Amino acid sequence: MNKRRPNPKQVADPNEPLWRSTLRVAMPLNLSYIPIGLACGILLHAAGFNTLLTGLVSILIFSGGAQFLIATMLTINSPLLSIVLMLFFLELRYALLSSSLSPYLKGESNHFLFMFAVSLNDENYAINYLKFATDKKWTGKEALMVEHYSLLFWAVSNVVGSLIGSTLKIDLGIVNFALTALFLYMIVMQIKNRLTVVICLISGVLAAVCMMLTKSTLGLVISTIIASLIGFYLETTLRKHLPDSHWLWKLRGPGAKKSVVENTDE
Amino acid sequence: MSAVNTWNSTQHFWLIILGFCVAFVPRFIPLMLFTKRAIPEWFNEWMKFVPVSLFTALVVKDIFIDSASYALILNHFSEMLAAVVVVIIAYRTRSMAISVITGLIAVFLLSMFIA
Repeated sequence: MNKRRPNPKQVADPNEPLWRSTLRVAMPLNLSYIPIGLACGILLHAAGFNTLLTGLVSILIFSGGAQFLIATMLTINSPLLSIVLMLFFLELRYALLSSSLSPYLKGESNHFLFMFAVSLNDENYAINYLKFATDKKWTGKEALMVEHYSLLFWAVSNVVGSLIGSTLKIDLGIVNFALTALFLYMIVMQIKNRLTVVICLISGVLAAVCMMLTKSTLGLVISTIIASLIGFYLETTLRKHLPDSHWLWKLRGPGAKKSVVENTDE
Repeated sequence: MSAVNTWNSTQHFWLIILGFCVAFVPRFIPLMLFTKRAIPEWFNEWMKFVPVSLFTALVVKDIFIDSASYALILNHFSEMLAAVVVVIIAYRTRSMAISVITGLIAVFLLSMFIA
C-alpha cells in the first residue's frame, strides 16, 4: 500500500550504503554484547586464559553460553574431555538453527556456507531469521554482515574484559538478562496466532522438565524438537480439519501498523 | 577450595581447537545438506516452529533453571517481573533496542528492592 508515498520515518534511504543499513539492524545486538562480552572476558581471565587466547576463543567458538561454560568448568578443574563433551551438547542446538535458516540460503557457495556457519550463534540467528521471514530483500550477504558485526563487538568486548581483568566487578545475573530480554522480544515478534502462544507454553514446560532430567543443555535440544513437532502437527491438523478455528486467528500488536518490520508473509 | 586453574596456555589452545570442532560441525552439516537438495514442504512447516520453541526454552533456562545444578529455581522474582515488563514493552513498541534497555533497567531496579 502507498509504496510510492515518501515516508522518511519508515522507509530506509535507498542510497544508504549496505554496511550502514546492516549495521543499523545489528546495532541493538552489538550494544547488548558489550556488557556480556566484558563479563565473559573477565571470567575467562579469572579462569587463567590469557588475552590472546580469549580473543581466539571469542572468534572460533563465538558463543556466550559456551565461553561461560569453559570459564566455569576450568575454575572447578574439570578434565579436558568432559569440557569438550559438555560443549558438544551445548552446541548441538545449532543444528536446529542452521536447519531452519537453510531454506533462505539455497544456492550459496560452499565457501559462503562455511563462513556463515563459523559465525552463526543464537543471537544473530534470531535477528537474521526475523529479517529473512519478514524482509524479501534480505539475502545471505546481509545476514553474513550482521554475523560479522556481532562477532566484532563480541570479540573486542571479550578482549577488553580480559585486559581490565579483576579491576571491574560485574553482576552476571543482571548483565545476562540483556540476552534473556532479547529472546523475549524475539518470542513476541514470532507470535502470529493463538496456536503459537500455546506452543510457547508447551515449549517452556518441556524445556524445564527436559533440562532437569538430562542435567544439561541437551534438554534444550530435546524440548525444542518435541515442541516444534507438536506445533507442526497441531497446525497441520487444524488447517486440514478446522480451517476456521480461532486458534489460527491472527494476533496483531498495537504497534504492528507502524512496525519497523515490513510484514509480508501470507 | 583452590579455584585457580593450573592449565597452561597450550592446554587452553587445544581446548579452543576441540571446542571449535564441536561448535562448528553442528552449525555446518545441516547447512550443507539442506541448502543443496530440495527440501520437502513438511520440513519447512516444521522448521517454522523451531525459533519460537527454542527462544522460549532459552528464556526458561535463563530464568527458571540453575546453571550449575540444572534444578528448578522459582525465586528469581526480579527476573520474572522484568520478563513480564519486557514482553509488554516488546508487544507495544516492537523495538528490540527499547525492549532490551527497558529489561535491563527493570531487572536492575527490581533486584534492588527484591532481594
